[in-house]
Amino acid sequence: MEAAAPQGFRQRLQQLPRGFIYLLMALVVVWQLLFPLPMPISPSATTKGVYDAINKVPPGKLIVISADWDASTEAETGPQMTAIMHACFRAKKPFALLTLSPPAGAKLANDRAVAVAEQYGAKYGVNWCNWGYKYGYENIVMSLAKNIPATLKSDFHGDPISALPMMTGVKDYRDLGLVIEVTGLANVTEIWLGFLRGPFGTPLAAGYTAVMAPGYYPFVDSHQMAGMLVGAKGAAEMEALVEHPGDATRIMNVQSWAHLLIIALIVVGNLGYLLARGGGRR
Amino acid sequence: MWRSLQIGLSQLFSPAHSTGELVAYVVGALLASVLVLALLHKGLGWRGKRRLTMAVTFTAGLFFALEYFYPVRMVAGRQRNFLTDYIQPANEVLAIIMAFTVGLGIYSLIQVHGRNVLRQRRGWCNSLAFFLSMVVMFGFTLADNYIKVSDPPPAVLPYPKASFEILFNGLFMPLQSATFSLLAFYIASAAYRAFRVRTLEAGLMMAAAFVVMLGQVPIGAWLTHSLPVTGYHGIPAFFRLENLGEWVMTWLNTPAQRGITFGVAIGALAMSLRIWLSLERGTFFSEQS
Amino acid sequence: MNPEVWIIWAAAIATLGVYGILYRENPVSRLFEHIFVGLSAGYFLAITWTQNLEAKWWTPMVSERHWTWIFAPIIGLLFYFIYSRRFLWMARLVMGLFFGVAAGQFFREFFPLYWPQVYASLKPLRAHPKVGEVTALGWGDVILHNWVFVVILLTVMSYFIFSVPHEGKAGRALGKSALMGRWFLMIAFGAMFGNTVMARISLFIGRVQFLLQDWLGHYVHWLAQRGM
Repeated sequence: MEAAAPQGFRQRLQQLPRGFIYLLMALVVVWQLLFPLPMPISPSATTKGVYDAINKVPPGKLIVISADWDASTEAETGPQMTAIMHACFRAKKPFALLTLSPPAGAKLANDRAVAVAEQYGAKYGVNWCNWGYKYGYENIVMSLAKNIPATLKSDFHGDPISALPMMTGVKDYRDLGLVIEVTGLANVTEIWLGFLRGPFGTPLAAGYTAVMAPGYYPFVDSHQMAGMLVGAKGAAEMEALVEHPGDATRIMNVQSWAHLLIIALIVVGNLGYLLARGGGRR
Repeated sequence: MWRSLQIGLSQLFSPAHSTGELVAYVVGALLASVLVLALLHKGLGWRGKRRLTMAVTFTAGLFFALEYFYPVRMVAGRQRNFLTDYIQPANEVLAIIMAFTVGLGIYSLIQVHGRNVLRQRRGWCNSLAFFLSMVVMFGFTLADNYIKVSDPPPAVLPYPKASFEILFNGLFMPLQSATFSLLAFYIASAAYRAFRVRTLEAGLMMAAAFVVMLGQVPIGAWLTHSLPVTGYHGIPAFFRLENLGEWVMTWLNTPAQRGITFGVAIGALAMSLRIWLSLERGTFFSEQS
Repeated sequence: MNPEVWIIWAAAIATLGVYGILYRENPVSRLFEHIFVGLSAGYFLAITWTQNLEAKWWTPMVSERHWTWIFAPIIGLLFYFIYSRRFLWMARLVMGLFFGVAAGQFFREFFPLYWPQVYASLKPLRAHPKVGEVTALGWGDVILHNWVFVVILLTVMSYFIFSVPHEGKAGRALGKSALMGRWFLMIAFGAMFGNTVMARISLFIGRVQFLLQDWLGHYVHWLAQRGM
């Protein structure tokens, strides 16, 4: 009996029920949302790159924010969009939203823009606009570089692009000061890099989900991108820079404890494995 | 002769002058297309069809590649060659053609769920729910687009727009968010069950994961806050978790990702060449229909 | 009609319905999955029409009478012959067109995309003082950053050379380099795993935030104020 108990305990360490793990995760998140322990957030170099790129856009040039995300990544890319729009409005840089894929991104970005614009008294068509969802990936970007009005024809609301005051005189890549790609999809950034940044030199920055961000560090290192926001952390850092703490800042407070839980679970699992292996050897 | 040909073609393809003329041209174009396709279908054997496909593939790729590589001259402050003016219209047409393929996936779904409903298979009510939600969403999305309200939109909306908002923000987006948020539970469970440090490589992976996981969150900074903050060129400051995490991402992760990127890039280039020259074999590329 | 309360309740019920699958497979979760797919399909169809086809194809063809636009759906609809055995070649024809376009576009983007990556890999391996616009580089930075970078890049690239056997003097050297490359790849994968954990958990936190602060917080003021 005495020899069986430690063996059972070692096995149990490796075989905690799934439901127990799910419950722990839920409890940690709920606990921190209800009783948060706020911690300071200091912006990283990649986030500052995005912020500086927005502020460096020359007067008379347009920023294009490519909202290529939907609800599947909204917890990360949504706050990134909001923080980027705050930065654009604060710096008084006009911007246009565009969605290459998925389709829901156009409306999600539009709803956020309407909410943020209200805080700055910004007007649609004058300070910002939404080019809508344009299907075609590379074809759209290549076409935009040569002739923006002919590529778009209408905006998100179905109104002619030419009717928007801020689009007066906007013809091609020479009228763009910066493209900010906010996405949870792989391979969309490569389209902007290959067909706009590379041939025409239009500056590019980005916001990614944390899953895909490691793959894009090489592009920041090569200065093909001015900077990037990495997941909710990047969004929280951007919120700190624009002095508008929001959803991402709240998420990061909770994230800390969730990460500690994951680390604890991995350690417990490995402890059980090592003890079981040691017990087996004896 | 080239000029006469250009004038002739532009007159042939110029816009119609009336609705009747438009309908006549459209019907004529449809009939002509059906005729051409029928002649090709009857006249070409499988080899001829394959060669036609190869020619179309090659020409399409050649157009884009040639426009990029062909020498340019400066015209009105922009670099151009004889193909540059056709790039933007070509891209526009291709984007529209691609937009018509949206129904491919939808058709598949309709086939599968349609069979379930017609044969009343197990779970056919769910398939019926699929059809209902598809039709309802389609209708209300169109209604939302065509019914205009003031900008910014008022709190009280017309019923079709309010219904769209309920479907989009009340069902569509939350369902998608919730489905993907399940991954948090699965990753916790999978990390606990599968992440075992059996080898040196697994140990390295775990160490890097721990450093990055702690370095990305505020609690990591708090854990090592007693170390000095003298930029991260100083040795003690280097070991602050946020600096260590940043170093792992920028100086360990980046070159490894770049090595992978180079391999992928060469592979993709080779694959693109093979596809362009129709050298590939496989389900799509097989010789016979 | 003010849809706000309806939206909050519909979202809460949908979220909890999906989370039911964590307990076990159940009819409610399955129903919501099917509803999600239906909503997605309906939205995609409608938005493709309103945002793309209407302004860029229908209006030029019908209002401006550019009848040549009829060829766009003729070519695009050839894709649907993929469901027909007899006329499959027509679908292959138009797929061939797009494969060719994709290949041509890849040739265009290859150099602008990857050449700067090669150039950025040529890191200085020696310390140097400030020279004009070029900032000074100390030995600490050079060793901790640039040497580490170049060693990792070369060893990782050597890992992917599968056509040279790890035999003989040169082969064994390559083998050792490939082994080190594998270690560095595992470090990169660990970093990716760490980021993946962060991403997935963020999504869940977002949903719980909605349930507590937007749904329950609509009725319990204290909940709405949490974390503000």
